[in-house]
Amino acid sequence: MGVVSMDHLPMDLERRSPQEILACALEQFDNLAISFSGAEDVVLIDMATRIRPDVGVFSLDTGRLHPETYAFFERVREHYGIEIDLRFPDTQQLQALVREKGLFSFYRDGHQECCGIRKVLPLKRKLAELDAWITGQRRDQSLDTRAGVPVVQEDPAFTGANGRLLKFNPLAHWSSRDVWDYIREHDVPCNELHRHGFVSIGCQPCTRTVLPHQHEREGRWWWELAEDKECGLHAGNREAANG
Amino acid sequence: MTKITLVKKVHPDGTACRKCRDVLGRIERDGVWGRIDRVVVADERDPDSEGMRLAARFHVERAPFFIVERPGEPPQIYTVYLRLLREELKREASEPDEVRELMSTARLDFI
Repeated sequence: MGVVSMDHLPMDLERRSPQEILACALEQFDNLAISFSGAEDVVLIDMATRIRPDVGVFSLDTGRLHPETYAFFERVREHYGIEIDLRFPDTQQLQALVREKGLFSFYRDGHQECCGIRKVLPLKRKLAELDAWITGQRRDQSLDTRAGVPVVQEDPAFTGANGRLLKFNPLAHWSSRDVWDYIREHDVPCNELHRHGFVSIGCQPCTRTVLPHQHEREGRWWWELAEDKECGLHAGNREAANG
Repeated sequence: MTKITLVKKVHPDGTACRKCRDVLGRIERDGVWGRIDRVVVADERDPDSEGMRLAARFHVERAPFFIVERPGEPPQIYTVYLRLLREELKREASEPDEVRELMSTARLDFI
């Protein structure tokens, strides 16, 4: 088992390719898994299975995903011959939410409560079993909130199996175009929803297609775009601080 | 000897962020101020403020956050107060409360 620390990682990891970052993560950690959303982050599975065919993969089945996403999970599972560890919401908490507020409370009260039960708690419980996890986060997904995503960091929000948890973001410095070039070049399976104009894919009620030149994040929780985001540390200031 | 630093944020208009005020109030109510060794400001008007530099150094995108330092170990960052409370201060924190705080502080829109 690897030691849960960034001390053993190469200093120049930030400048390495996604495949090299994945190779490093897989070399350092046995107890790690890829978080697969059912979208274009499938490229991580394609890259990782070339290094470790039985790499751990998990997904969060919120119960509200598109039928195309469920079909895609099956396709990926069969294509790569891997297990996908599907994690589900806590039944009691979900029943209490639906009983009290119905099935569409997120349009009225915001998505946090529903996402907390359907995604974050199952994620928290899964991560508590791991030493490291791998996400498909990219800096170009949101210039406001992801511009500073590093290729690896100690996860400040979640706890791992032995306390500390490392989070690898091998695609951090890739663009959407880089990802799709890889998908086409390597004939990687993809979610049918992409063919219908979906870019960012989440739960069915909270995801919509975007128009050309619209940012992909505008297809998620669009009714909350004006929400209070005061807790964020302004990205421009952070970049300045980096300089 | 463990040292805990709290980084709180100040808006461009000089006011404290609401979440920081909430967490500071919670620290008061939980009676754990004595365990916080230092409070540092991330001032959005000043990219060179110590808090902004710490946020950049540790790749933290939200405030408030905590830095826990122990001799001979790399610093550990907590962006969720209830996680700090449970793991470092050895107090009870309910899972639903912690998830609620996670939702309000962490950038989790990628999952």
